[in-house]
Formats: sequence, structure tokens, C-alpha cells
Amino acid sequence: MQCLLLLCSAAFAYSQETLNAGDYFGDLKARHLGPALMSGRISDIELHPKNPRIVLVGAAGGGIWKSQDGGVKFNPVFDAHCQSIGALAIDPNDPDNTYWAGTGETWTRNSVSAGDGIYKTTDGGKNWIRSGLEKTDRIAAIQIHPRNSSVVYVAALGALWGNSDDRGVYKTEDGGKTWNRIFFVNNTTGCSEIIMDPANPEVLYAAFWEFRRTAYSFQSGGNNSALYKSSDGGKTWNKLESGLPKGKMGRIALALAPSNTSVVYAVIEAEKKEEKGLYRSDDAGKTWKFLNGDFELTVRPFYFSRISVDPANPDIIAKCGLSGSISRDGGKTFRNLGSMHPDIHDIVFDRSNSDKMFFATDGGVYRSLDGGSSMEMVECLPVSQFYHVSHDNREPYYVYGGLQDNNSWVGPSESPGGVEPGDWEPVGRGDGFRVYPHPNDPNIVYSEMQGAEVMWRYDIKKQEIKLIKPYPGEGSPKLRFNWNAAFTTSKHHPDRLYAGSQFLHVSEDRGAAWKIISPDLSTNNKSKQNQEASGGLSADNSGAENHCTIFTIAESPLTDQVIWVGTDDGNLQLTTDGGKTWNNLVKNIPGLPPNTWCYHVEASVHGKGIAYAVFEGHTQNDYRPYVYKTNDFGKTWQSIVTSEITTFVRSLQEDYQNPDLLFLGAENGLYITLNGGKSWSVFSNNFPRVAVHYLELHPTKNALLAATHGRGIIVLDDISPLRKINASLLNSNLSFFDSDVFVIDEKSNFGGRSQENQFVASNPTSRAQIRYFLPKRHMFGKMTAEIHDLQGNLVTKADAGKLKGINTIEWGFNATAPKVAKGKSLSFAGAPTVKAGKYLLKITKGNEVFEKQIEVVYGKNSGFTPAEREEQQQVTKQLFDFIQDLAYLVFTIEKWEEKANDFQQKQTKPNAGVAGLLNELSSIKNILVVTTGDNYVGTAEPKLREKLNDVYGSINAYPGAPSSTQKENILSLQKQFAEAKARFAKAESGSIQTFRKLLEKNNPAETFKVPDFGEYLKM
Amino acid sequence: MKKLIPFLFTLVIASTVKAQSVDEIIQSYCQAVGGKNWDAVKNMRLKTNLNQGGTTIPVEVVMMADGRSYTQITFNGNTMTMRAFDGQKSWGTNFMTMAAEEESAEESENSRRTAAEFPNALMHYKKLGYTASLLGTEKVDGTECYKIKLEKKTMLVEGKEIPNIEFHYLDKESKVILMSESELPSGEMKGKLSQEKYSDYQELNGVMVAFSNASGIKDGPSQTVQFEKVEMNVQVDENKFNFPKK
Repeated sequence: MQCLLLLCSAAFAYSQETLNAGDYFGDLKARHLGPALMSGRISDIELHPKNPRIVLVGAAGGGIWKSQDGGVKFNPVFDAHCQSIGALAIDPNDPDNTYWAGTGETWTRNSVSAGDGIYKTTDGGKNWIRSGLEKTDRIAAIQIHPRNSSVVYVAALGALWGNSDDRGVYKTEDGGKTWNRIFFVNNTTGCSEIIMDPANPEVLYAAFWEFRRTAYSFQSGGNNSALYKSSDGGKTWNKLESGLPKGKMGRIALALAPSNTSVVYAVIEAEKKEEKGLYRSDDAGKTWKFLNGDFELTVRPFYFSRISVDPANPDIIAKCGLSGSISRDGGKTFRNLGSMHPDIHDIVFDRSNSDKMFFATDGGVYRSLDGGSSMEMVECLPVSQFYHVSHDNREPYYVYGGLQDNNSWVGPSESPGGVEPGDWEPVGRGDGFRVYPHPNDPNIVYSEMQGAEVMWRYDIKKQEIKLIKPYPGEGSPKLRFNWNAAFTTSKHHPDRLYAGSQFLHVSEDRGAAWKIISPDLSTNNKSKQNQEASGGLSADNSGAENHCTIFTIAESPLTDQVIWVGTDDGNLQLTTDGGKTWNNLVKNIPGLPPNTWCYHVEASVHGKGIAYAVFEGHTQNDYRPYVYKTNDFGKTWQSIVTSEITTFVRSLQEDYQNPDLLFLGAENGLYITLNGGKSWSVFSNNFPRVAVHYLELHPTKNALLAATHGRGIIVLDDISPLRKINASLLNSNLSFFDSDVFVIDEKSNFGGRSQENQFVASNPTSRAQIRYFLPKRHMFGKMTAEIHDLQGNLVTKADAGKLKGINTIEWGFNATAPKVAKGKSLSFAGAPTVKAGKYLLKITKGNEVFEKQIEVVYGKNSGFTPAEREEQQQVTKQLFDFIQDLAYLVFTIEKWEEKANDFQQKQTKPNAGVAGLLNELSSIKNILVVTTGDNYVGTAEPKLREKLNDVYGSINAYPGAPSSTQKENILSLQKQFAEAKARFAKAESGSIQTFRKLLEKNNPAETFKVPDFGEYLKM
Repeated sequence: MKKLIPFLFTLVIASTVKAQSVDEIIQSYCQAVGGKNWDAVKNMRLKTNLNQGGTTIPVEVVMMADGRSYTQITFNGNTMTMRAFDGQKSWGTNFMTMAAEEESAEESENSRRTAAEFPNALMHYKKLGYTASLLGTEKVDGTECYKIKLEKKTMLVEGKEIPNIEFHYLDKESKVILMSESELPSGEMKGKLSQEKYSDYQELNGVMVAFSNASGIKDGPSQTVQFEKVEMNVQVDENKFNFPKK
């Protein structure tokens, strides 16, 4: 029996260690701030072969987006999966439903994200299933047999950062259930492109590319890069050589003319400069002829190796590049494409109208309707790739961050009508990275571009830019800055800045002057500092491979003497005396491979010696997560990683109140722990599985800001309920969280100015959010919510949340609206706002009632005196009653009208007295409400009801005292109403009385009575 | 005791390894909500007072087993038909003119195609010729559900026949529908997923009815309709389904 009890207790007991937090996030949802005005890198575009309304877009780090209107608006369709997209394909046999998505971008820049296999949907993108190739890391192309959907070929580029056998050409003949690697060159050479002859699907061309990236170098090209052709569905492959460059080759772009499949184009990265460029074959690959070596054809092959042929004309070809170019003479000459964001990665022609084209750039998707001359940007793709995020303390607060190839920006966390493109302001150029406001003056913004080539101090108000980058002094070695160079502000000295080259620099005057306060804190490994030789067959020394540099700087929020510094080559350094002495702690960290990039250090608010260190080794082809905690200034470290974290991580944010609540930014999304790292859960409530590069927590708003590298800034507006989730909540049917004081939002504005085709971020709610916890979803029996005053009067009803875990009741501080008189057209009188004070929320769940007292207060800076508010509330109440009195009078008149009409219809000859009564009632009603017209331009002249609702609305909407004009207007309306009431009173004692007697005479048993006011209000 | 523990384990293991077919899951759902008792339901009338920021709007929804339906609201004492379907045509009220207007021919056609679904498409999917498939299990707001794809007759949108697919999430524990989902085929939100989350199931005449329905766009805000009164087999004014004579 004891065994049974143990079994039961094991099954049903919960503890903080076993609580699966992911089941209890409830209605805690993320909000996407975007923005989309600069959008982000797009890797692939596919068009439906027959329906030009359908457009699929694969983003470098922002998932898959589908348009059903020809590319005006897009919806994300892949949020639950890896957001790094390499290639998309639409099945020509079932183009409405079946798509394939190869994950892992293949434009292999330093910041590229990795993939986790190939996915397939058979319902147009609503559901996706992973269909294998999990270890291929990145997929460059997918070709589907045009008459047999089961046969699919995949070009697997494979691992970027290390050797791998999971690359080459893969084929499935059962629709993705099983795959065969049908062509493999070696573990350093991947298949970078595969194309199929649509006229003869047994004919395939494949480009192979030998390549490798490390944290400090890039190598494109080698003896194993080559072009191959198969004529038997991939069973055998022949190397194509006649007319092609000899020796080493790099990345190759390939395309075939659909209108003449003997015409094949290749753009080849060759060893010799004069052999780099465009080649054309007119005999299906047997022989090739060099045509053109223009800049746009040869520029950065690793980034731009794609060429497209007009589906109707074999001589019109478009080449991706820095600006992109197009030839209309079969490749002999090219002109640049129209003006769009640089760095073009894909170009597609509409098959039914090749003047209509789409372009994938580092700055989103562009459309052209004139064959590539004029461009129009798609403005609804928030796939921006942030490296970092910070915030200020304004109300509302603003967020700051820099993006891949898209400058640095500042934008508000909320704005009238939502956060629109025009709300964002540039605060830096180039590739943007870290951006900080001055801690006390948000008009001063610090920003930088790649490799700290420039660092700026920008005074937004004065429109004044000062360059503040640290320079080497006399006798100083060359300063090495990371591509994403480290700098930060101080929590203790508002004018202080820290910047990291290989040294830690400090400025006490907002960046004007700098001094070095450390030795070289990196490994200073000279073999990793030869960036000039980077690129392979095409030199590529952009600063992206700068190495042996400081990457993260964390000053303790508790003392300026403690500063943690992490380097990209795996050092973790600490000073406890403000930089006088330094100690490399990495030797104390168990289980950490050497030279693993120290990406982030979180210096804790909970103790000077407490810190978290996040390392990531993906540039060493190590995708495991490394997160450690120390409580003793780095002498000892404990891993807080569990098997629930499935890939590498970059950033950690601790909560400022609950030391066990931690947030982790991973390559595949956001993870949360409620127990200090004993278990982690993925947060997926409107949070895609996107790479999170940085996290920041607003200390007073409790807003978690995530800089995602593909989906812009994502915000959890209030994480405070997470602080309170623990296993004990599971034992109660309903538990309230400590949200009990709410500020009435009295702002008003005219909303925004954006168009339907633009991305606009929603605002956080301005309503009261009363939160509670349900251990289990409410499914059976009634569950309702009401708000009462402390005297027990019902103020209003509310929507009760019924989800498992966190639930929120939102209340707009409204009471109940007055009952408005019936009229021919509609007239609105909204609910008054409640007074500041205490209220009681009552939730009825089945037979149980749960109560929570809350307090409503006015904003500290509202600007209205108590006397003004009192007057506004009194007049609003007076008008509220007035509206209902008028409504009741109209109701009473109509009841008598009904009765009188009913009486007249039963008479053989209309009764003259009753007819007179009807005339009088109609005449009075015509004073009170409109009885003709509609709600638009056929509207009738407003009557008392409409005028009264108008003045009520204007007073109710403004918390200050009513104006003398408004008060005079009320007096006028009151006078008119009094006159109408007097007329009705006269009728009541006259013609109505006569009519009543007539009724009694006709039918003594009948007692006609108009419901009283109280009854009317309940109707 | 020695026998009891292996029995418990067997029970646990058996319940986890036995894969249910989609039909079994739907049958379990049908039983959970009343099964054959639904055959006796000829119509339903649902009433509530919608609370729009403190303004109370009485709402009445009537659904007939033959597919006819109407939704009417009362505002400023005026009762208006938001939308009605008379078996052939669907129509609604233009709030500018307060006059009835027919919906497009496509909308009427789509209403006719789904007219036989009462009380819902899942319950009679075989009879309706729809195809149901089990996509697996998925958590909805932390609650484990079966995810069922229901492929209905195509619908006509902007001149094209397009798939009409619903996804139903059935609570594994209680068997009832927790959420239904479908893609919006047209309009400003075209392509987005519309979701309806059900709760407050209560027994009425031997069948289970969800008194609460929170609807909205996936990942967006939702609006809850909490029905206060649900009646079955009531006398209905037949004229309310019909387009008013002008």
C-alpha cells in the first residue's frame, strides 16, 4: 500500500523543480514592435506558377511569409519553426497546397542563422511537418519533379562552420519520408545550387562550393568547387568543363531559360580575375562561353550568387548583386536595376507577366511592374534583424537598437494609433549594433557602425553629431574592435561610457576623451588576426571577421568597481577595483570548450559577486548552449543549462525582483525559467522561434525587450505575473496576482496615419489588467466577472479569462452607459469613467466566488484639480440622468402611441379625440428624438436626444471642468426638455386621461399601465 | 497489492500507447456533448447582453437545424438584424441607412454549402461528405488537445473555388472542442487565422452547449460572448430569417 501511495504522490505532487512553466503562460502574450520600415534580409522568393496572387517570401532570419493579394500584404506562416530560411519551393503539381521549405540561410555572412532541416506543408502553409535532413544546417535549393510530387531534389549546402558529411544532393522518391544522398563531393564542399530542366526532369545541373567560415576568417573556393550535370535523375553526374575556368572555383550561380532549356547560364567565382563572371551555354551545358565580368556579376559571390531568366525570353537575365543588374541581350551587356535597398539575394519574374518582378534584398522585398526599372517596397514585413536593444525611461519609453545593414534606430514603445513607420528615427548609419541613450538625457544617443569604424554621439534635439570612437595613442598597438563592437553606458556615472577593443576604454565626458583601463584582455592570438587575407578567391575584408576583441562589458549595478568583460575568443575577465587589476576567470568554468565566444555577462542586481555568463560556440561548429552562474565573483561556476534548451544561446536577462526568474535568448527563441535554471520552457505566445540576440528588462515597466535577428523588437509588456508563479498556485482553484493599483489613462488623440499595407505595431493596453491564475483551464459551468463598488453596486461586467495559468481581466475604467431613447437613427452615449477609488472584482466560477479589491487612481501628471474633476463628474452624472429621463419619456410616449394606434385600428371610424392625442404625442416626440433620416448624409436635423448626447459626450470625454459654453448649452437643453415634459404632463392630465377612460369604458377589465422607470431600465 | 501496481502500470501504459483514430476521437467528442440527443434539437436560441465598453447591447442568435439563422442586436431600442440566412440568401443591415441589404452572391452560395452542418460540421462530418484527419496533439494555452483537420466542401471566394478547411482542437481530457480555427478567405485580414475558443459548457436537454465563445485573430486580442440564456426547440418568428420586403 505504501508503494501505491508513493506512486500516487509522485504522480500528482508538483514542485517548483517539476513545474512546466510553459503550460502556465496563459494569456501572457508578446507584442511585435517591428519595425518594418527598413524590413530585413530576404533570402528567397517563390511565386505560384498559375495564380499571381500567391507569393511566398523566405526571410534570412524571419521565417516564411505568404501573400494572397499579389504581394501587397503578407502573413507569417512558419512561426512555430526555425526562422532561418534557405530555400522555398512550390510543388507545380499541387501549387495551391504543397510547399517545401529548406531551413538555414545560404547567404553565408558572419551573422547568418542555421537551419534544422526541410519542412513540407500540404495545406498552403497552415501546418508544416519537418521532413528530414535535420543535420544539413542550410539548404540552398529545392527542385520538385513537375509530374511526380514524390520526387524532390535538395541542394544541401551543409555546415558553414565545420566539416560535415550532411551535404550534397539529396533525393526523395516518397514525398520526403526517406532521403538518399545521391551526390556527395566531400565534407567541406556543399551543393550551393540545383536546377532542373522542366522539359526533361531527368536533367539536373548542380553547383558545388568549397567554403568555410570561422569567427576570424572566411574562405570561398577550392579545387572541389565545380559544376555538374546529371541526365538520369541524379544517378550519375558529369563534371562540366568545356569553356569553363580551370583551377580553383568558388560559388556558382546557375539558371536555365524556361523558354529554351538548352540555354543555361552560370556566374562563376574563378581563381583568375579575368575568368570571373557570366558564362552561357547554348547546348545544355556541353560547351560554355564567357560573356561578361562586370562588377555586379562578380561582386561578393558568397552573398549574391543567384541569376534568373525571364520565363518568356531566354536573353533577358537578371543577376543579384550589390544593386542587381539586368541584361536584355543574352548577357552581353547589363544595366543596374532600379533603386532599392542594396544587396540583392533573389529575383523572380511573374510567369504570366515578366514585367512584374520581385526582389529579395537586405532591406526587404521590392516589387517592380516595369521589368525592374521602378521599385516599390513591401512595407509590411517586420523581419528586421536587430543585434541589440536598450531603452530609456521616458513615458512612454523608447527603444533603441541597431540592425544588420539597416542603420540604428530609436522608436517609441507606443504611439497614437500604434507604432508606425514614421515614429522611428535613425540614430546611426551602416550596419547598426549597440545603441544607448544617455541615462539622464534621452536626446543624447550613442551609436556605432560595423567594427566601430565610427561611433557617434548624436544630440537629437540640436541635430548635432559628434564622432567619438577611441583612437590609438602614441605607442599604442592597432585597436581591434569586433564587427559588433562592445560599448555601454554606466549605471553609476551618467556621463561615463565603456568601449571594448582588445582593451577596455573608459570615457568620463560622453565619449570626448578616452583612457584605457585594462591590458589586452583577449588571447591576442596572432593567427586569428589576418583579416586582410579573408575571403578566399574573392577578397572580403569587411570587418566582419575581426577577432580577439572584447565583446561584452558588464558593470555591476551595485558598484562601479566590479566590471566583467567577455571576449570573442573565449576569455572572461573581471576587475573588482575599477580596472586596476584583472583576473581571467575562464579557467574556473567547468565543461566549457576553449575559445568559446563569451557573448554576454549579466552582472546581477542581487549581489555584487553574482553574475551569469553566456558563451556560444557556433563559430566553432558547436551548437550546444553554455550558461553559467557564479555567486563568488567567478571563483566557481555552475551550469544552468538543461536538455530543454536545444541549441546555442546568446543572451540572458535576470529579473530584478525574483532571482529565480531568468530569460534566455537562444538561436531558436526565448526560454524562461522560474526556478533559477533547474528547468526551462520555450515562450511561444506570439513569440516565433527566432534568434534572440539580446534581452533587456525595463525596471519600472517590467517589460522584457527582445532584440531578435529576424522579427524586429518583440516585447513582453509586463512579466510581473511570472514572478509569482509557483507550485503552490496549483492547489487553489483561482489565485489573484498582486496587481491592485491602476492608473486611469486619460490620454486622447486622433490616432495614426498609416496605410493598410504598412506594418503598425499595436500599443500596449492602457486598461487595468487584473491578473489571476487558474491551475486548469475552465471548461464546464459558468464563469463570469463583474466589477462592483465597495457599496456592492454593479459598476460593469467584464470578460473573465479561462485559460490554464495566467489570465487577465482588462477593464477600461468604464461604468455602465446610460440608456438612450429610441429614435429613427442611432445616437451614442458612452459609459462614464469611474472615479478614483476602490472597487471589487468578483469572479464567479461555478458555485465559487472569488473577490479581489483593486484601487483606481489618477495619473500624477494629469493636470486636473480635484475640484475640476468633481465638477466634471457631477455634470456628467447630471447629464447621465437627463439622458435616461428623456429616454423614459420617449418610451412612455411610444407606449401610449402604441395603445392609441391599436385602439384606432379596432374602430370602424377613427376616434377624433384619440387622433388628437396621437398628434400631440407625435408632436412632443418630434422635439425629443429624430423620427426620420438615416445615420449618414440622410441624417435628420438633430433633436433633443442628439444634442444632449453630443454635449454629454464632450463633457464625459474630458476629465476637466465643463466650459461655460457647455453649461449654457445644458441649460438650454434642460429648458427645452422641461417644456416637452410640461406638454406631456398636460396631455397626461388631459387627452391621455380621456383616452384611459375610453379604454376602461370599452373594456372594464383592462388595466393599461406603462412600466415605471425602474422597470424600464431593466428592460 | 502485488497485483494492483502492475495493473495500474498496465492501465497507464495502455492509455498512452493506444492510438485513437480520428473517427474514434470525433465519436468521443460527439458522445461527450450529447450524441443522439442532438437529433431532437430543431433549433437553438442564444441570448446575451454584450458589454461594449459599458454599453449594453442585447443580442439574440437563432440557429435552425435546417441551416437558417439570424443574429439580431438591439441598440437605442431599435432591433436590427446583423446577419441572417433564409436558406437561400444571406443578408444584413446597412448601419448607415438602417436598411436591409443582400450579401454578395458568393456569400449566399457559401452559406448554402454549409447549411446542413447544424449544430456543427465536426459532428456530422461523414454525412456531410467532409474529410477529417488527425494532425496530432498540440497544446492550446497549455492544455493538451487533439488537432483535427476538417476539409469541407470548397468555398467560392473572389470568383475562385478555394479549400474550406477548419481545424478543431479537442481537449484530450474532457473530449469537447476547446478551439476552432480557420483561415479568413477575404477582406482586410485575408490569410490570417481566425480562432474561436469555447468554454462554460453546460448541459441542456441532454446535450452540452458552450455558453462562452472568445473569438479573435490568432495572437491578437479576442472578444468574449458569454451567453446568458440558451433555449432549444423554441417557437421562432419565421419572418426574421427572410429579407424584409421593401
